[in-house]
Amino acid sequence: MNLKTAGNPENPSSLVLTATKVTKSYAGRAVLRGVSLDLHSGERIALTGPSGSGKSTLLNCLGGVDRPDSGSILFKNLALETLDSDALTEVRRRHIGTIFQFFHLLPTLTAFENVELPLQLNEVPPSERLVRVRSLLERVGVLERAEAFPGQLSGGEMQRVAIARAMAHQPSVLLADEPTGNLDSRNGAIILDLLRNLSDETGTALLLVTHSGAAAQICHREIHLRDGEIGGQREND
Amino acid sequence: MIVSGQPNQVRWILWSRFSWRHWRYSLISSMLLLCILAVGVAAFFSIRLANQAAVESFRSFTGLITSQSDGIVSAPAGTLPEATLLELRGILKDEPVNLVPVLEATAAAPKTDENEALGSRANYQLLGLDLASIANVSSADSAGSGWFESSTSSQKQLSTNRLGNVLRDSRAVFISKGLAARDHLEAGSLFPLLVNEHPVQLEVAGIIPSNPNQPEAPMNLLIMDLPALQKLTDKPGQLDRIELLLEPGPQRAERWRRIESILESSPSTVPRAWTVTSPADRREAASMMTRAFRLNLTILSLLALLVGLYLVFQGLDGAVIRRRNEIAILRSLGVTSRQIQNAWLVESGAIGLAGGMLGLCLGWLGAQVAVKMVGKTVNALYYSTSVNSAAFDVYEAAMALGVSVISSLIAGWIPARVAANTPPAQVASRGGSVAHYPGGRWIRNPILAGLMIASGYGLTFIPPLRLAGGGRLPMGSYVAAALWIFGAGIWAGDILSGMGRFLKCLKINSVPFRLAVSHLAVPSGRHRLAVAGLVCAVGMTAGMAILVGSFDTTMRGWISRTFQADLYISSDGAQSASSTSRISPSTWNVLLKNPAVREANVIQVMDIHLDGISTLLVGNHLAFFREHARPAWVSAPLTDQVFDSGRNAGLALVSESFADRFRVNRGDKVKIPMSNGTREVVIAGIFSDYGNERGSLLIEREEFSNWFGNDLAASVILALKPGYDAESVRAEFRRDHPGLGVFTSSYLRGEALRIFRQTFAVTYALELIGIAVAIAGLAFTMASLLWERRMDLAVLRSLGMRHRELSVAAALEGAITAAAGLVTGLMISLALGWLLIYRINKQTFGWTLQTDYPWMQLIALSVVVLISASAAGWFVGRWASKLPAEREE
Repeated sequence: MNLKTAGNPENPSSLVLTATKVTKSYAGRAVLRGVSLDLHSGERIALTGPSGSGKSTLLNCLGGVDRPDSGSILFKNLALETLDSDALTEVRRRHIGTIFQFFHLLPTLTAFENVELPLQLNEVPPSERLVRVRSLLERVGVLERAEAFPGQLSGGEMQRVAIARAMAHQPSVLLADEPTGNLDSRNGAIILDLLRNLSDETGTALLLVTHSGAAAQICHREIHLRDGEIGGQREND
Repeated sequence: MIVSGQPNQVRWILWSRFSWRHWRYSLISSMLLLCILAVGVAAFFSIRLANQAAVESFRSFTGLITSQSDGIVSAPAGTLPEATLLELRGILKDEPVNLVPVLEATAAAPKTDENEALGSRANYQLLGLDLASIANVSSADSAGSGWFESSTSSQKQLSTNRLGNVLRDSRAVFISKGLAARDHLEAGSLFPLLVNEHPVQLEVAGIIPSNPNQPEAPMNLLIMDLPALQKLTDKPGQLDRIELLLEPGPQRAERWRRIESILESSPSTVPRAWTVTSPADRREAASMMTRAFRLNLTILSLLALLVGLYLVFQGLDGAVIRRRNEIAILRSLGVTSRQIQNAWLVESGAIGLAGGMLGLCLGWLGAQVAVKMVGKTVNALYYSTSVNSAAFDVYEAAMALGVSVISSLIAGWIPARVAANTPPAQVASRGGSVAHYPGGRWIRNPILAGLMIASGYGLTFIPPLRLAGGGRLPMGSYVAAALWIFGAGIWAGDILSGMGRFLKCLKINSVPFRLAVSHLAVPSGRHRLAVAGLVCAVGMTAGMAILVGSFDTTMRGWISRTFQADLYISSDGAQSASSTSRISPSTWNVLLKNPAVREANVIQVMDIHLDGISTLLVGNHLAFFREHARPAWVSAPLTDQVFDSGRNAGLALVSESFADRFRVNRGDKVKIPMSNGTREVVIAGIFSDYGNERGSLLIEREEFSNWFGNDLAASVILALKPGYDAESVRAEFRRDHPGLGVFTSSYLRGEALRIFRQTFAVTYALELIGIAVAIAGLAFTMASLLWERRMDLAVLRSLGMRHRELSVAAALEGAITAAAGLVTGLMISLALGWLLIYRINKQTFGWTLQTDYPWMQLIALSVVVLISASAAGWFVGRWASKLPAEREE
């Protein structure tokens, strides 16, 4: 597998995602109030904050699942707010990977098939799919479980398969919403290691929504959201 | 806090704050579910009302005029001589009982269109009563005293001083209020009519007065003075029956028993020249005659209701999924499982009640259409009826509503249990997004299915239940059909799974396709139920199509064989199966002497009762019958003796229905009770006949004429000499005898087929409803499944799947599910077709049919089901692809 090296956050040309003054309201309640951030290739950002502070909403807007009320989101110079539904889908299909707290593997597909799915959507030829899926499953340590259905996997195994699926099409950005929130500490640590290593190996930018201090520790930066605004940020060593 | 409340309070809170609000918030789907249930209830209710209206029309009309009679004296076969009146009076001496002689006849409006369809003209029931004595029946609960007085202010009425004029005028007729209003008739108006072969101009003498204790006279009832009707129908001195009316007063039943015992013990010829029955017996006989037909329709109407209930199940099941989080929260707040279960059962009952009430309204409207279709069939096959509308019946409404509520509760039972078993911890442990259908291990049990199908086959060997009046009910076969349908429904789940696995193996490189088959390779309980619902609808519809197709082929063969002669002549007033219109000997003798006629068959028909069961005795020229009707023999005569009019006295041919109904075979003897003794005939042969289900016993016409002492012909069939054109001779006969209906064989063939197909029109309508409801059921299932998978859909969206691709995946899932239902449904339809043809039809009607598969219809059905299922899946998929992942509802 061709793994890219991490990008340089200091280099403007490596900018993959830029949010500028993004606002979003639900039923008259402001959830995001002018949030701005940059995400560079290979960079990992932890998005923290209390419940209801707007973390998941921001993640959804950045992933093109939701649309901001105002403000701009640029994905590699492509303004997401100007795209129609199909074009947004295309961006997600080709450039964005997503990891969920509850894994959300498709229960009727095997682990292999779950990981293969994004490649099929991107019309990768079957022979190449086979190689890439096997390689990814091996990389996340569940190759021997390739033919198992999600119901037959443990929580840690499911999240590893979910990570493999999110990385399968080599996205520029990986959006992870509480990826360790439903795991015990040992499995949580394994998953965080995996995310850090994969990000380093492939240069994929990672935006990680988390409540966990340990999870935030694997990131270069930590942005704290409070009441829909950036309440502070700090660089990690 | 809910847990601390009183049980009733909890129930009310669960209903008002949860169930009711959910129904209000999702108004469209709630209304859709109610409407679909209502359609099922409406089909059931409308058929019941239509059936009831058709039976109600066959009533003792004299009850409308006098009070309801206490007893009826009639001949075992044919008519009674008027002298019976004197005989009865002699037996009863001074007993306080009124004797009302009655003669009944049918008549029709004159022909106005030479190309009209058979049976399309208005037909009337003529009742001949002794008006002078009726006027004198001073009964408190009768309308006799008002007979010659004003009845409505808007019409020109007769007064008592006109009685003499009426009795003297042989054309005077009394008509119903409805007919007067419809045709703008009043006293003195002329009313043209065809009675036997006579076109007559009757004169309206007045309106039939109302009897306060009886419903209004039906539109087609006409009343004449008895002697006038006897003259008009060529039945001088003959009566159909004598009705016995007791004076009003207490202990009527006891008084009637006394009269009955006097009549029974009276010295009389043996066998007796007359029999005594009750009006209830007579109505029951009519009801029995059509019982099998009505039962078949009712069972068919239950198809729509059955599939509708399956839909209620799907709807409630879907609602349980959508509200699972809420249920889990309620459970964690302390609401007990039983309270949850009861709340869902209340909801099911409420759906049944609301859907049922809506169904009653729709059903009443539908009954007004159905009654015409049912009426046409009853008219063509059984007896004359003029019903055009069906009255709302409280008893039937209560029954339909009861069926709706009870079956909704049954349909809601499993969802209620699923809801009750929702653990409080579920929300936390599973994220509230994934729920699996837990119930129905039986639906995955192929051994159970095999047992059902095998025992169903065993049940097909059970003989039919024989009802009083001659009706036969193939109960074993009906239960077998139900077992086969349920068994096939269970197997269909495995067929779906097999199809899913097979398609998965194909490795087709399409994401929507792979997603769709991934769900079907291991189908959920909901998939299995959806496919079982389709099997039920497709199996029954295709099975019926095979029956009707086979019937159609058999009928076409029979019709082309039977109508071989050149001309078929009957009274132009004969518009129904029970028409009493006849051709007088003077008229048919003229026809037979026409130089164009080579050979003729004069047919006489009499309604007779054997062992209390009604059937037809037909006087026929049996040699002509063999040559021109070319009967297909079930048991061919062993010699030609029966066809030799010089040697066939005491021999008879019977139809297959007759043989089946009376359980007789070739060589058996049949005793026919008559006014002047019992006649005995030996069955020489049994032939296939699809003309009537009551059965026919054919004897030589001369013998018939000797037995009954009359030569009135029901019809005359003519074979013409070579060189004569049937159409020209027909035109000549029509010109010379305007009261005759003269038909060529080609016309009759067409009409016979049309009438046959018309009788199946109502079944097509019911089948269409069944299929539509099954497709709606599939759509509901898909909606439930996709709702259940909404998180998966959100994931797929986040992975980059388009709405269109998700819709295609759902459409494929729907189409493959439908295909499995279709394959299994069509397979079981072959078995059902066999069951319908060789068991149910044979046991009910006694008809052997030639199996024929209407492939084009079956292909059309398959295409419609597949397209509708794909479309339903596509639309539901489109809707589901836009569902927010965490939206509650």
